Amino acid sequence: MILLLGNLLLFLVALAAAPRLGWLWQALFPGISRPVWDSQSWFALLAEHLMLALGATLIAALIGLSAAILATRPAGRALRPLLDSMFSLAQAVPPIAAIALALPLMGFGAAPTLLALVLYAALPVMRSAVAGLDAVPAAVLDAARGTGMGPGRILAQIELPLALPVIQAGLRVALVLAIATTAVGAVAGARCLGTPIVTGLANGNLSWVLQGAVFTAWLAVIADQALRLGLDPERRRSNGRLAPAR
Amino acid sequence: MIRFEGVSRRYGEQVAVDRVTLEVPRGSICVLLGESGSGKSTLMRMVNRLVEPSAGRVLVDGRDVAGAEPEALRRGIGYVIQSVGLFPHWRVGDNIATVPRLLGWDAARVARRVDVLLDLVGLDAALFRDRFPHELSGGQAQRVGLARALAADPPLLLMDEPFSALDPGTRRGLQSALREIHAETGKTILFVTHDVEEALTLADTLAVLDQGRLVAQGSSASLLQEAEKGPVRRIFGKESLAFHRLATLPASSLARPEDARQDLPMLPADASLKQALMLMLAEGSACLAIPAEGAFPGGTLHWADLVAPR
Repeated sequence: MILLLGNLLLFLVALAAAPRLGWLWQALFPGISRPVWDSQSWFALLAEHLMLALGATLIAALIGLSAAILATRPAGRALRPLLDSMFSLAQAVPPIAAIALALPLMGFGAAPTLLALVLYAALPVMRSAVAGLDAVPAAVLDAARGTGMGPGRILAQIELPLALPVIQAGLRVALVLAIATTAVGAVAGARCLGTPIVTGLANGNLSWVLQGAVFTAWLAVIADQALRLGLDPERRRSNGRLAPAR
Repeated sequence: MIRFEGVSRRYGEQVAVDRVTLEVPRGSICVLLGESGSGKSTLMRMVNRLVEPSAGRVLVDGRDVAGAEPEALRRGIGYVIQSVGLFPHWRVGDNIATVPRLLGWDAARVARRVDVLLDLVGLDAALFRDRFPHELSGGQAQRVGLARALAADPPLLLMDEPFSALDPGTRRGLQSALREIHAETGKTILFVTHDVEEALTLADTLAVLDQGRLVAQGSSASLLQEAEKGPVRRIFGKESLAFHRLATLPASSLARPEDARQDLPMLPADASLKQALMLMLAEGSACLAIPAEGAFPGGTLHWADLVAPR
């Protein structure tokens, strides 16, 4: 936890310091006339980056969760292999290819990036939700039906709360995937931490490329650190839902 | 209270329940006895429509359950299963409150009811109300399961091998608790088990199922008298049939009207012949004294009468 907060703080300080370190970039790249990235504020880029990743995760969560609920209902059980292969296929397409394919339809900007990220992040949500819903003990469901709960109430009050820890794990994976992948959106003109990389490559400005790459990678590391913390079994048990096996 | 009329259930080619007609009188404990796969659970689950019959009909209080809305029907029928199925993320009190809350009782009434029920099933309300299911032993969990089934005071209770997963001591404790609750509340109970001893301990009437068919029904005493051959004999175990029969007969029926001698071991007047035999073996005594109680004037039970042909 302390490690994560320390890393996060350091990251923010570095973002604030980067435009003021002209001498450093000058020393590293003596042949470049404008080595300092100053087209946009790093914090604005970070905010847009996170908005894109969060938005995509939210949409992916809605889609993945709906598909998982459908696949675990008696009526939807037949659809399960189909849904699973659809979502697997969606994730198998590299985001850069998804963006390229979406460009002619959706134009430049955030939209094709959002689409690519949703396609990429929906699978872990669906897989984890299916696993969580499947793991609800049959006896609990039998008892719930036997006490006269309807299907909707059983889903809302019994199945989803019991599956929640597993679903949360899937959501965290989806969020980390999205944060780490958002940078490719810069090729479609979405503003994010990848923007200096793409702009730098286009202009032969390796200083911008380096700065963008460092911050993109750094943010992904922080997200991964947070994910590991969230998946720590000791912490997960404390919410009372994952009862130790008797 | 419950009437099965020519009820069958088929799963493809498999016949799980085959034309069963059976009546369970109001206020009695009817035990469905059979080996696993005999169709006893399937038959029971047709009462609250967890299984629909392929043919025939099930009447509760004279009404065909097929005409009832399943959720409403189930809220009026207590349901207890072998694996208990407590909701692991809810405290004991919330588990018990399930049906009253579904029925829209106000919070104060629900809270009072939870405490009454915990007391009824022999658990200290203050101690257990706020525990989670994983903090309970197997026996405690099933007591909570029983309390949950009784919560809205349903006239009818379905119990599917509720004590089969418990160790013998705990099982006997819960059997006698159920007997007491039954005497106190007068519920009609349909009880499924494969355990012969348990069936004889609890049953007012017994219904024996074999391969989906009802092969015998009646009081345990009459059933064992006639069980000379066939599936009933097999289910009760042919070697121990005579022993089980003793369990269905009162010891006082064979007592000689002699004044009970003080030096003999004492047997309670309501004991069965099986309990008498056990006491004789335990005490190494061929005679037992039975004190007077109610209409019974007291007397002495002799080993010779126990083994005499009847």
